[in-house]
Amino acid sequence: MKKNGNPPVLQIRSLSANYGDVKALKGISLDVKQGEIVGLIGPNGAGKSTLIKVLSGVLKASSGEVLINQKEVNSYSPSQRARTLAVVPQARQLGGAFTVEQAVLLGRTAYLGFLGKPAKEDLRKAAWAMEQTEVDSLADRKLAEISGGEQQRVLLARALAQDAPVLLLDEPTNHLDLRYQVHLLKLVKRLVKQERLSVLMAMHDLNQVSGTADRVVLLANGELKAVGSPEEVLTPFNILQAYQAEIETFTHPKTNKHIIFPVE
Amino acid sequence: MKKSLVMLNVLFVLMITLPACAPAANPEPTNSPVVATVGIPPTAAPTEEMSQTPIMAADDLGAEIILAEPAQKIISISPSLTEILFSVGAGDRLIGRDSNSTYPQEAVSAVDLGGMWEGIPVEDILALEPDLILAGEIYAEEAIQELRDLGLVVYWQKNPADFEGLYGNIRDIAILTGTEDTAAELINSLTDRVSELDEKLASVEVIPVVFYELDASDPANPYTPGGGTFISFIISRAKGLNLGDRLTGEWVQVSSEELLAQNPDIILLADALYGITPEIVAERAGWSEIKAVADGEIYPFDPFILSVPGPRLVDGFERVAEIMHPEVFNK
Amino acid sequence: MDLSGLQKLCTQKCLINNMKTRPFLMISLLLGFSLLLSIALGAVTIPPGNALKILLSSLPWFEFSGDWPAYFETILLDLRLPHTILVALTGMALAGSGASFQGLFRNPLADPYLIGVASGAGLGAIIVMSIPQVGRYLIPFGAFLGGLGTIAVVYRLAKVGRMVPLTTLILAGVAIGSFASALTSFLMLISDEMILQAMNFLLGGSTVTGWEPLVIALPYFSAGLTLLVLGGHSLNVLQFGEEQAQQLGLHVERVKLFIIISASLTTAAAVSFSGVIGFVGLVVPHIIRLLWGSDYKKLIPLSVLGGGVILLLSDILARTIMAPGYLPVGIVTSLIGAPFFLWILRRAKKEVFW
Repeated sequence: MKKNGNPPVLQIRSLSANYGDVKALKGISLDVKQGEIVGLIGPNGAGKSTLIKVLSGVLKASSGEVLINQKEVNSYSPSQRARTLAVVPQARQLGGAFTVEQAVLLGRTAYLGFLGKPAKEDLRKAAWAMEQTEVDSLADRKLAEISGGEQQRVLLARALAQDAPVLLLDEPTNHLDLRYQVHLLKLVKRLVKQERLSVLMAMHDLNQVSGTADRVVLLANGELKAVGSPEEVLTPFNILQAYQAEIETFTHPKTNKHIIFPVE
Repeated sequence: MKKSLVMLNVLFVLMITLPACAPAANPEPTNSPVVATVGIPPTAAPTEEMSQTPIMAADDLGAEIILAEPAQKIISISPSLTEILFSVGAGDRLIGRDSNSTYPQEAVSAVDLGGMWEGIPVEDILALEPDLILAGEIYAEEAIQELRDLGLVVYWQKNPADFEGLYGNIRDIAILTGTEDTAAELINSLTDRVSELDEKLASVEVIPVVFYELDASDPANPYTPGGGTFISFIISRAKGLNLGDRLTGEWVQVSSEELLAQNPDIILLADALYGITPEIVAERAGWSEIKAVADGEIYPFDPFILSVPGPRLVDGFERVAEIMHPEVFNK
Repeated sequence: MDLSGLQKLCTQKCLINNMKTRPFLMISLLLGFSLLLSIALGAVTIPPGNALKILLSSLPWFEFSGDWPAYFETILLDLRLPHTILVALTGMALAGSGASFQGLFRNPLADPYLIGVASGAGLGAIIVMSIPQVGRYLIPFGAFLGGLGTIAVVYRLAKVGRMVPLTTLILAGVAIGSFASALTSFLMLISDEMILQAMNFLLGGSTVTGWEPLVIALPYFSAGLTLLVLGGHSLNVLQFGEEQAQQLGLHVERVKLFIIISASLTTAAAVSFSGVIGFVGLVVPHIIRLLWGSDYKKLIPLSVLGGGVILLLSDILARTIMAPGYLPVGIVTSLIGAPFFLWILRRAKKEVFW
């Protein structure tokens, strides 16, 4: 079915993690191939953010393995891990006094060394990332002074500058106006194909997932409930089980996309 | 009904006020001799008034202190007054003192009323039932008035500006304690000593500049007494020049720079009690260039003999003169 | 001389331009000026011409002679020069630590004393002062040990597993700091002879004079300031929060420890030799931010230099405003610092600088 017979870039094997006594992730296993966007869905508290935290090393796994390009990353130092895995968080109020350019350059932290002095390569990568995400015209503007949509693109640029094969996005379209949502997702799709990235993207808007992701993973209560194409996963049964909400589905006549809408 | 109530009230009030109006001169029928002190009693027969006439002295706040008889239970809250009290032979009548009144040794046996930092312990004083309280210049008029309002007899004394002032202070205490004879002898001896020193010093021509170091919490900017203080007066009398006289204020802070510029000939360490030694002083940055330090003319000095305005001031005068002009004293 | 050319060179616009684009040059010039001013002014008036000659003569290449009293030389070389250097270093230490803590805790109200260094150093100093017969030169050591000891206790208390949550660190610092302050007050109460000494220290007055203590202090200041400047990049990354910093590749706990140690070392040195001086560590970084932005790689070194300037100028005021008396410099910084801070708050409403 897939064009290349190469093994998946990101391999998650029976990953478990706890918050104190609470089991937040229970034996998650999942693959993401190169050039693929996997959409991660589930109700609040299902473990989407937790999974991203464990993958990026912020939270320690209690058991299981994470392999990127067949290498175990749980034993990596933070800077090693940052070169294999980049995270695009939600745009919040942090780092507002930095300019766009300064913020994107920070994406090169894993390559910069303790003093943070950027080499030509670092500056080049940062400039390229800003171009790709169409924020280069904002290079000298402070983060706090640009719109939410622009901020999110800056964070995407920063992650791109990290030059990592795996990209994790944590609900990137939250709090964005509709047109920025559309714009961002288009950007992500293009970049994934262009740079051959492996992307795991947590989302809450089910239709956006359907339109953007190649495959969908449904989490509930820290467990993996379903994995497959959008049509296979976004069924009324699955959604009812996970979200306790009744939906109906149909195929869009023009785009052939799998659409979900709630039942009154 | 109402009328009788009013009458009752008036009677009540009269009852209370009349005794106060009565002359305070009603003598107690005791025949205790006026000059009766244990300690150093004079051998001369008492020539003072007998207990019939009240004892009066004006204190430096302008209040008239009137006692029926010489005070027998005395509290002193200033070291100077404690010393004077003992020097006129009335020390055994001291029943309470402040914690700084530790000279002479006998004073320590009186009740320690504390350091007076948080105010005068009025209740403790009332409990001791004194007939006279001696307070020095450091106490504000309000504090003294507070005690007087409670019915206590308080005598407030200003620091003397010269020896005459000192003698006057001693005489006042003598009057209040009925020890005028002892006092007269003491004053005579003090006057003699002072005259003797003045004579010896008459031939002195060179007037050294003296730096009297009071406090060196900040070693680069120590404190020294200025002009108008008794210390300044003594130093001048002993044919010296107090460095602090050139600055304004009574208790002045002087920078190391100023000291280098003024270049005193002699340094008196009145903070020697706090562990300041000539060696420590010599080590202070830049001080080795000061004449007094270079010549080794740094002397530890007992601060109490010049800062407590009592009879020991004359000791202070002697000591300062000896340090400044050893040649006159054949040392 | 082409005066019109000179005029163009020194117009106001040119100055402002230079200010914006050459921060290090401007601040260094300001620092140089403050150093010279501090050496030139004091309780005793020394004509600037003489002062310059004396200073140059102390260098091996010059030899000036003149008609001045010997004590001019003593005052300049043995008193003012070491004092000036110590004040400059102290200001640098405080501003550098303040900027670092503001970056670490991501809190504009952070200052070098946030986690208890000053209270601990104060306690250490007062303990030494209350032991009779102990030499005065031991006071800085007591203060230093007190300051560092307090930080160690606070860090230990705040540690949860292998992490040190920042909020817990602040709370522990406040708690231990208050305790140390209370102990200090108690010691001062029961031994009223050293109250003057203690107040002198706590209000920001140096307990030592001359070259000797400066020579002892220098390595601590140098090491501390160097470490602080090196931490600039890490602080930048931390501005996005610990989670994102980790995801960008920063070893967050290690960096936090590094910054806490550098700032505490530097602050402890400053407090030990110069007493507790407030506001410099809080206000100077904000001024630098308003002028030149929040890039910590530049903010830290610029704050260091700026701190030197501000404290030197405050110290000059403290020494001369009540001549021949000496106002503790901590009082001057507080009196000036508060209105300054209000002015900064007003500016903050108009621009984003945090």
